Amino acid sequence: MNGTILNIQHYAVHDGPGIRTLVFLKGCPLSCAWCCNPESQSASTQLRYISFRCKACLECIDHCPTASVSPGNGEVHRKFDECNVCHAKYCIDTCTHDAVSLSGREISSAELVKIIAQDIPFYRNSGGGVTFSGGEPLMQAAFLLEVLRECKKLEIHTAVETCGWADRKALQNILPFTDLFLYDLKIIDPEQHLYYTGQPVDLVIENLTFLSCENADIIIRFPLIPGITDTFQNIKSIGAIMDNLKLNRICLEPYHSLGREKYDEHGMEFTLDAVQQYDHSQITAFRDFFSGRGFLCEIA
Amino acid sequence: MKAFHEPIEDREIHGTPSNSRSSNFKLRYLDSPLMVDIEYIKHLTESHRVTDGMEVLERRAADHAYALSRMTAVIHDHDTLAGNKTRFIRGAIPYANYAAEPFLREMRKEEQDAQSKHMEQGKGGGIRRAQLEAEQKGLRLISGKFLISAGEYEEFKEICEYWEDKCFMEQGNLLWKNHFRNASFIEDGWKIGLYTAPHEPCPEGRLILDFEMVLAKGLNQIIRETEDKIRSCQPAGIGDGVKLNFWKAAITVLKGAIVFVENYAAEAEQMAESEGDPVRKAELLRMAGICKRVPMERPGDFREAVQSFWFTYVLGHIEGSHLGYSPGRLDQVLYPYYINDPGHSRAEAISLFEELFVKMTQIEYIASMSWQGLGHGNLYQNLILGGVDEKGERADNEISMAILQAQINMQMTQPTLSVWWDEQLDGEFLLKASECVKTGVGYPAFFNQSTYVQHELKTSGLPLEMIRRNSAIGGCTEPTLQGMSYGIVQAGFVNQGKIIDLLLNEGVDPVTGIRMAKARKPASFEEVRSYYLEIMQAAVRNWQQYWNYVMIAHRNTVPLVFCSVFVNNCLERGKCMDDGGAILNQSITTLSSGMVNVANSLAVIRKLCFEDKVCSIGELFHAVRENWQEHEGLRNKALAVPHWGNDDDYVDDIFLDLFDEYCDWVSGQKNYLGKPYDPSMLAISTPVPFGKVCEAFPDGRLKGEPLADGVTSPFPGTDVCGPTAVIRSSMKVDHTRIRGGLLNLKFHPSALKGESGSKNMLALIKTYFEKPGFHVQFNVVDSRMLTDAQEHPENYRDLVVRVAGFSAYWVEMSKPLQDQVIWRTEHSL
Repeated sequence: MNGTILNIQHYAVHDGPGIRTLVFLKGCPLSCAWCCNPESQSASTQLRYISFRCKACLECIDHCPTASVSPGNGEVHRKFDECNVCHAKYCIDTCTHDAVSLSGREISSAELVKIIAQDIPFYRNSGGGVTFSGGEPLMQAAFLLEVLRECKKLEIHTAVETCGWADRKALQNILPFTDLFLYDLKIIDPEQHLYYTGQPVDLVIENLTFLSCENADIIIRFPLIPGITDTFQNIKSIGAIMDNLKLNRICLEPYHSLGREKYDEHGMEFTLDAVQQYDHSQITAFRDFFSGRGFLCEIA
Repeated sequence: MKAFHEPIEDREIHGTPSNSRSSNFKLRYLDSPLMVDIEYIKHLTESHRVTDGMEVLERRAADHAYALSRMTAVIHDHDTLAGNKTRFIRGAIPYANYAAEPFLREMRKEEQDAQSKHMEQGKGGGIRRAQLEAEQKGLRLISGKFLISAGEYEEFKEICEYWEDKCFMEQGNLLWKNHFRNASFIEDGWKIGLYTAPHEPCPEGRLILDFEMVLAKGLNQIIRETEDKIRSCQPAGIGDGVKLNFWKAAITVLKGAIVFVENYAAEAEQMAESEGDPVRKAELLRMAGICKRVPMERPGDFREAVQSFWFTYVLGHIEGSHLGYSPGRLDQVLYPYYINDPGHSRAEAISLFEELFVKMTQIEYIASMSWQGLGHGNLYQNLILGGVDEKGERADNEISMAILQAQINMQMTQPTLSVWWDEQLDGEFLLKASECVKTGVGYPAFFNQSTYVQHELKTSGLPLEMIRRNSAIGGCTEPTLQGMSYGIVQAGFVNQGKIIDLLLNEGVDPVTGIRMAKARKPASFEEVRSYYLEIMQAAVRNWQQYWNYVMIAHRNTVPLVFCSVFVNNCLERGKCMDDGGAILNQSITTLSSGMVNVANSLAVIRKLCFEDKVCSIGELFHAVRENWQEHEGLRNKALAVPHWGNDDDYVDDIFLDLFDEYCDWVSGQKNYLGKPYDPSMLAISTPVPFGKVCEAFPDGRLKGEPLADGVTSPFPGTDVCGPTAVIRSSMKVDHTRIRGGLLNLKFHPSALKGESGSKNMLALIKTYFEKPGFHVQFNVVDSRMLTDAQEHPENYRDLVVRVAGFSAYWVEMSKPLQDQVIWRTEHSL
């Protein structure tokens, strides 16, 4: 079976215990305004155009079958929707400046498992393993299940990072093959959740309740977005849900703007206005809040 | 590889000296200019002028003892340890008796050796200070960075003129230039950059004396035992005469050493007399008392043991023009004296080590410009901790911990700190070692003791217990047996990159037009491979033979006598190290640098020209000779061929094949002590000057770019699968075949953050060493390195910017975004 992945990172040390291999799967049901991997939202491969590398040689214009590229000021203009029709097949080969590439590639489950298995000695000595992230890994539920099952055959520790907005049956299926869930809780207020992520929150909370009842190993991941998720009300609600479900580990992910450029590069719109980044003391204050209430709190 | 992670963090560990005295030592060091001190060489020369006619060993001893006993005993403010190599805080002895020519060329404003123009020395700190002071005070500069007074400059010039035809280097030249039939190959090799510059100015080091023996016996007892040997010797052949010469010489240098120490006792007493501050007065009197006892007798307590070690260490250091002369397993040597000292305290031990490390850093060396540049002024005094004892049981102890703590506190550039890794080592000790790594000093480096033990069992056949007990690192990454092996282990490096140049140009160096090998036009991969081997073999064999000539001259001019006393079994056998007196004479290596580029290039040739038939070999070579200009498309195809460091068997198998060929060939030639040469590969800073003289390579490397570092480090930017793949490639190499070899990894501080970061790092080491690898060293990335990554993105293709759940590569970020990452690194966010 084939799946679409964005990237594989080795020696990942922030997404679960020990030395891990981090697999980014493509496709996500949410479209959070602060998303730092916007190119992971679409389920299919996408053209990426890094304008600062473009030397405006215009070679790609000559080779474009859909006439979706036109000259610009020191770069080229691209109609991304039309571009993606041919998967940038021609301009990638044409560009000698590495300005055009494709985000995402297809991979067979067997090949992916083979890559993951290469680092087994590192996992063994560090208590590490593999983490599936994305995107939302459960968007490719059958592929994920197959890879997870193969990994467990090799006794590799498995973690799945999920936004929770997933089909219950799919979640149930992977449960026996998943050692750890990194479960995102973003906004508890239903309206706000819908507004900023594009989907209702109920399913997220229901699925978390389900996993908790099944005694799954869960670490809550909470993106701190200034003025959006970091309100007192929201933080309190997250604490309350964790209390209810007897979850005690939470990892804070403070907002950073490092993914900002990837919106432009993929012809996507960044809708979050002027978000400040936190300084050290602010982040520590959030951690202290959770620690003070008895949670094991880490900063990612 | 260069993985680094977001959010950006500055280094996690910031050490500070444990007390104000140590802190002053460090500041004083940082504030001092580099000085050249001619006192030793002046006295040595005085003596040499009148000892003509004496037997070589006895003459060498007489000259050295004469100079030792006349050196000024300088005790600097606040010092509690006595003994210095020079009169200055940062001083170097110019060993004109080794090589007068480089100094004379400079003083006569002649051109330096061919290699020096490819070397760059640092320009900041003490070097800049020396240059400023030279301008302000009318002092003279030597070797670009050392100060000397105008009067001493003239005196030194005379000294150099005296040695011009008598020094080791010139005597060596007379031998090999006149008698070695392939002498022109060596001279041409220097011209084209096939070899590092002549090594004669600083041939010695990679040597560790038997400090256990010094501490256990004391110099007085060693003298008595040697006198007994002379008395009981009944000569029965000319060999016994040489024994008598050596023993007499040994007694002479030991007595000279004792005068050197006594001068310190006298100086301390004199200073105490005029000292107003009662606390300092008491310190000086205590120092005087200690200097009257050690190293002549057994130390009575821990402080005396440290002082005894230090005197012996410095005295050995003064004898030769050392590079890589090392303290070895100091935690093992000192531990018994620490634990048996009823008054010992951890705080005092740390404070003593802090002072000791400043003293070790204060030793400078002045050699040819080329070697100064190659070593970056680093003396590679390797102190190795932990490991196992003779029974194979873990040997880390309280002193190991104290030494790590002292270096965390001080972060001096010396000693070069290392850890013998073994599975049994205490977890606390390993965590402390990783704490030291996180200060950003670049050490300790981790070495796998069992890999070296296997190597030594195979090559020397010595007993396992003996190897375990004495295994240490002499110099940057060269394992050796402390107290029992010879320290002149190599002639310099062979430039593997230059062999690619020759291969591509039918045996002619493309820069100079000098022919080095028979003209051949390889038409198959097999022919390419065998042409490479043919040139490599000639380069290695000639280099080995040349050095054997040179070492005859060493024996006849500057044999090490003092150092031989403390290397087993020289005294027992009545033979100095130059005559094969050491137990281990298999430690003589042949070094090369840049084999990864050869493997990558051969992979590209095989794939593009013979498998995929993208182009003919002629077309490929043409594009490379044009420095890939106008051949970007082909270069991209070359870069897309598997490169070393990605766990891809296509190229890894080629590397392993070349590695085996190299090892087999190197050990097929005997060294000057009659044992097989030992294969080794390291780098120091050779990749930069070696790369500078090389044209472009088929592997996509451009003209002038540095070669790949170390033995198994990938070429910058071609390891695109992360650090675990680099290690998996490296794990395929049989590290027990070579003496030394290294792998450098770069990490962003946040990858090592906290205890979990340390544990992951230790798990990485364990995984590599289980295989077994030999060496790994971690450099913690700082904002300066990131700035370099901005300027040279091509070297950082695999640099990953990571936040939890975030995906991006450094090279895909725009400059403003990279700036933001750098800013956050600097501000510890």
